[in-house]
Amino acid sequence: MTHSHTHATGRRTGTSSRHGGRSAAPVPPQIPARRGPGGRRLLGVLLLVGLLASVLPWWLGTPAGSLRSAATTVTAAGRISGLIAGYLLLVQVLMMSRLPVLERWIGGEHLARWHRDIGATLLVSVLAHMSLILVGYADLRNQSILAEVGTLLGDYEDMVSAFVATGIMMLVGFSSVRAIRRALPYELWHLLHLSSYLILLLGFGHQFAHGAQLYKPGPVRTGWIALYLLVVAALLWGRVITPLAFNLRYRLRVADVVAESTDTISIYLTGERLGRLAMLGGQHFRWRFLTRGCWWQSHPFSVSAAANGRWLRVTVKVVGTHTADLRDLEPGTRVWAEGPSGTFTAAHRLRERALLIAGGSGITPIRAMLEELPPGAALIYRARTPADVLLSRELDWLAQERDTSVWYVIGSRDDPGPRQLMSPDGLRQLVPDVARRDVYLCGPPGLVEQSVRALRRAGVPRRQIHLATFEL
Amino acid sequence: MRRAFLAITGLAASTTALVVLKGSPATNQVAQNLPTAQPVNPSAPGVDPTADPAAPVTDSTGEAPTASKTADAPVSPKPGKTTARPSGTRTTTKAPSAPRTTKAAQPTTRRVTGNGFENEYGYVQVQIVVSGNRIVEAVALSLPSGGESDIHSGDVRNSYDGSGGEVVKKQNANLNTVSGATETSNSYKQSLRSAIEQAF
Repeated sequence: MTHSHTHATGRRTGTSSRHGGRSAAPVPPQIPARRGPGGRRLLGVLLLVGLLASVLPWWLGTPAGSLRSAATTVTAAGRISGLIAGYLLLVQVLMMSRLPVLERWIGGEHLARWHRDIGATLLVSVLAHMSLILVGYADLRNQSILAEVGTLLGDYEDMVSAFVATGIMMLVGFSSVRAIRRALPYELWHLLHLSSYLILLLGFGHQFAHGAQLYKPGPVRTGWIALYLLVVAALLWGRVITPLAFNLRYRLRVADVVAESTDTISIYLTGERLGRLAMLGGQHFRWRFLTRGCWWQSHPFSVSAAANGRWLRVTVKVVGTHTADLRDLEPGTRVWAEGPSGTFTAAHRLRERALLIAGGSGITPIRAMLEELPPGAALIYRARTPADVLLSRELDWLAQERDTSVWYVIGSRDDPGPRQLMSPDGLRQLVPDVARRDVYLCGPPGLVEQSVRALRRAGVPRRQIHLATFEL
Repeated sequence: MRRAFLAITGLAASTTALVVLKGSPATNQVAQNLPTAQPVNPSAPGVDPTADPAAPVTDSTGEAPTASKTADAPVSPKPGKTTARPSGTRTTTKAPSAPRTTKAAQPTTRRVTGNGFENEYGYVQVQIVVSGNRIVEAVALSLPSGGESDIHSGDVRNSYDGSGGEVVKKQNANLNTVSGATETSNSYKQSLRSAIEQAF
């Protein structure tokens, strides 16, 4: 999901905060070194090798020519898809372990995309595994498929939990289909997704009780168990130990809440040792505000100013009950943060110059990134009405300091002005060298889709287009 | 989503490919059969048993007692080494068995039932059908059954039994163990071995 309701920004209309006013760049900010896609590719190759290795035991354990009847062939296909599904489940959980090395090498945006694609593949392989095994076993035992379901559930150890795990997985999978997901409240969807850990637990037993390749002691079984342990260790490290260390170190607290516009607030945070916080503009944290109503939810918000050693700021558009509660945060409230993550940063640029396209509250990560991009960047800021333009004073000031051209494009999507501008020709007229720039996009899904299409037709290569996607 | 679609298609295609590859009597199956026949009659591995009774006889008698050694070696395709060594020992075993089988040279079909063997999952007994000097069919009269054993026994049956199974292909009891059914495979091999001993 591209950025949506989560951030917002604005001209600061409240009293000036006690932590530093608006000068976000007290020292000349350095431009971060580039982080290439090498680590991501290496990991991709490793995962593919792992996939091959997980099917290898089947290949070695099955004599050639032994699949002579339809039943054994179908059963064999069921076993292969079972091995694939077992492996993909582990990869899927690993991807979501928030292991720092994964966040750094792959990046939240790519991780989210991998997670979605692997998730769909996983669901299909589990369903294939189940139906192939059912058909194959039923044929081997000369009984109907329904009777076979009864046999499996009745006589087989751990098979009930395996069926339950499949049910949960289908539920999680379908609730993540984009159209369905949009109709669900975030909290419900999140709860459903949390139950995925149950899949890991419930699906575990039947693999070792009945897996033709796994039930007997040996290197294959040991290796498979080791994989599980590895993934659980990664989960602990990424989701428990790393955040614990981060929060014990930086001890973030709310310093001030400031209204940026009628429906947008900025939350200023202070803490300890912030000078050593390695954070890039455009990255986000998952925030958990430890007050009575809010502590149990965490939401990803981009930081709306680059690291300055003194304070952090998130700018949030008020759209739901949770964000509404954030308006009433008291200074001094403790904050639990996980991050920083994301590859929507100046460090991930491929070219020297950049074009930034922001829509509405999507300006927040881009505002932070502007402080770190090399001079010569261009910013197109789309907003429906002048009142929706956020942080404009900071943007004007940065435009001057960092030699950046800023265009405010106000109006509805169907107005002639924005339509002409957001076309391939319009973009080329505004930024003649657009094809040789990195393009960073953050805004509502409609704007992002429209822009990507226009950019591609204007000749911008796919890999130069960076999207801020940071929902799970 | 496009990539997920590609991944699913790719996985489905490769699963099919794997199954098809394993399903077809692959070339290494032939390679396993060839060397066992070669030491005795290198010129004609596929000789009709009724036309040349001597060749297959030694084939099976040579196998049964010294089974594990002679059959394991030829799996690695080094015919030079394996043909040289075992052929010497084989000619000795050939002598006593040859006369016995010449009277069976007329293609009569016999059914020979092996001893039964009990393992922790159930009872295993194998019957072979011998025509001339060849095993032409193998049937498991009894295999463990009930619950999961049905599946493993089905796997064993599918690998070994019938007129196109591994028993008929190999003409001996050195069968590949069926994965997931080690015990039952072993009992099958024991019963088969005893049937072969009775038959030849």
